[in-house]
Amino acid sequence: MLLRLAWRNILFYKGRSLATFLLTFCAALLLIFYAALMQGSHRTMLHSNLGIYTGALQLQHQRYQEEGGSEHLIFGAAHWVDLLRRTPEVTAVSARLETVGIAASRLASGAVVLTGVDFSAEADLSALQKALKSGVYASEGLCLYVGSDLARKLEVGLHDELSFIGSAPDRGFVAERFEVCGIFKTGLYDFDLNYAFLNRAAFDTLFRTHDTASVIAVALDDPLHAEAIGARIAPLLEPHLRLYPWQELLEDLLQMLSLDKIFGYVSLGLFFLVIFFVVMIYSFINVSSRIKTFGMLRSIGMRQRQIDIVLLLETLILSLGALALAAPLGGFLAAWFELHPIIIEGIAENYKSYGIVSDAMPTCFDPASILRQSALILLLNLLSILYPIGYLRRFSPTEAMRHV
Amino acid sequence: MIRLCRVNKRFYPGEAREVHALRDIDLSIQEGEFAVITGPSGCGKTTLLNAIGLLDSISSGEIWLDERLISALGEHEKSDLRRDRMGFVFQAYNLVPVLSARENIALIMQLRGFKPQQIEARVAEVAQMLQIEHKLDALPARLSGGEQQRVAVARAVAAKPSVILADEPTANLDSHNAALLMRMMRRLNEEEGITVLFSSHDDDVINAAKRIIRLKDGALC
Repeated sequence: MLLRLAWRNILFYKGRSLATFLLTFCAALLLIFYAALMQGSHRTMLHSNLGIYTGALQLQHQRYQEEGGSEHLIFGAAHWVDLLRRTPEVTAVSARLETVGIAASRLASGAVVLTGVDFSAEADLSALQKALKSGVYASEGLCLYVGSDLARKLEVGLHDELSFIGSAPDRGFVAERFEVCGIFKTGLYDFDLNYAFLNRAAFDTLFRTHDTASVIAVALDDPLHAEAIGARIAPLLEPHLRLYPWQELLEDLLQMLSLDKIFGYVSLGLFFLVIFFVVMIYSFINVSSRIKTFGMLRSIGMRQRQIDIVLLLETLILSLGALALAAPLGGFLAAWFELHPIIIEGIAENYKSYGIVSDAMPTCFDPASILRQSALILLLNLLSILYPIGYLRRFSPTEAMRHV
Repeated sequence: MIRLCRVNKRFYPGEAREVHALRDIDLSIQEGEFAVITGPSGCGKTTLLNAIGLLDSISSGEIWLDERLISALGEHEKSDLRRDRMGFVFQAYNLVPVLSARENIALIMQLRGFKPQQIEARVAEVAQMLQIEHKLDALPARLSGGEQQRVAVARAVAAKPSVILADEPTANLDSHNAALLMRMMRRLNEEEGITVLFSSHDDDVINAAKRIIRLKDGALC
């Protein structure tokens, strides 16, 4: 009976019902899309940052991260690469060996991190291949793949010669002349300024580092599970080795994402507050205009609690109806813009320090998030009717019936 | 059946604008009575009816219904008592605008948990008695004033209350509809044994009552 009364009220006061319905529908749609966009931008930032070079996990000697040094390398790297490749969530693995030295052209010189990599493995794991600006990506022999800002600093172009002197893991020195065969630009200034890559065969010949790695980088299908997967693999490792999740390797990124999340939540909070007060004011007007009817219902014997239930049911029906439309539509928009990202010209240039390497801003279709946002809107709507209910309770039946 | 002992009602007590609306009312209404409360405007007719119907609290005194002190009940108990024992008819009809005449009549029976078949049969019965059976599916806005008031009476009597309290039920009706309504209420009183207590200052309506209770300045006279 209460449900029927609530339903009849909704149908009878069409204008008010439609306004509440549309308000809830628009709020839910906006919220779902905003959350999808925020989630999408975070995922893009994360994937961009991890995908450029770091990977989601890195296997290192547990003292290499803090101290570096040739005594803290991973020896017998092939075994660990094989172990990691057998892990189901792992999508790519690359063993790298880094050394620091001085590079010089005819005109300039500077410090460089020279890294021996398997270019084919890196193509699956990092953005090195995609970042090719000129020349070739994978080259054999004494050919270097140089960051664009490093090339500018050393004043070299394609096919120019670079001399390098640096330390080898056996504590000796290596000096060699290389040709610049490829130049890359990831957008990360520090990376593009300091890194140069050499194919592993040539690197191992020069530095005598066969089956050795300073870092084994690992890509996962979902980087957010890095810590859990790392913890699962950890017991299989030798005690001196440790798997570092990206959260430890890229603390700046983590802080930046946290900060962005906080701003996002503040915006959402303000959004919720606006929705709450708009719906509440509207509900208040809606209830105020019917005080006389509620007074009459109480006078003929309806309990105040039953009237409260009628009001809650009205809100519940309208909210569920609006959400039943808004959630699928919001989900569709989130899925559509995930596949066809919004292009914001210049965003990559402005936000390159955050790892944004593309002007495309995809959303993220996440059914759990859509359900969460819908539940929040429903909760807000139900909460927003509490004040009008409290206001209504102040009236005695006769006062309510006299209300104009 | 209904007994009032030294009932007083003050509005805005202790303030300069205090109104002593009911003064030491001692009154008994017996079962099956058809009584009218009358008196000049502002004499306290509506206040007295509202006090008996537990729609307003009283400042002092006691109200008894069948040896039960009802003026001291809590809000829930008062609501339940109004639902189970009383029927109300208001001057302004006060029908639920979103419900049809049939649903308005059935409302209190539904609140009391009558079975659908019982409700259907009783609605048909009272609708026939009040000659509104052809208007049962109409919303209140589609009914004339007389029809709305008959629906209000039907709603009040449908659940077979012990007493009907009607505040100026004919005030908004023309003389024809007023006379018709009074005949119908009298018939309900006689056929169903329902106690009827109503207020009016219309002589024709007052004359239809079996007992006249006169009020002046909040006191019986």
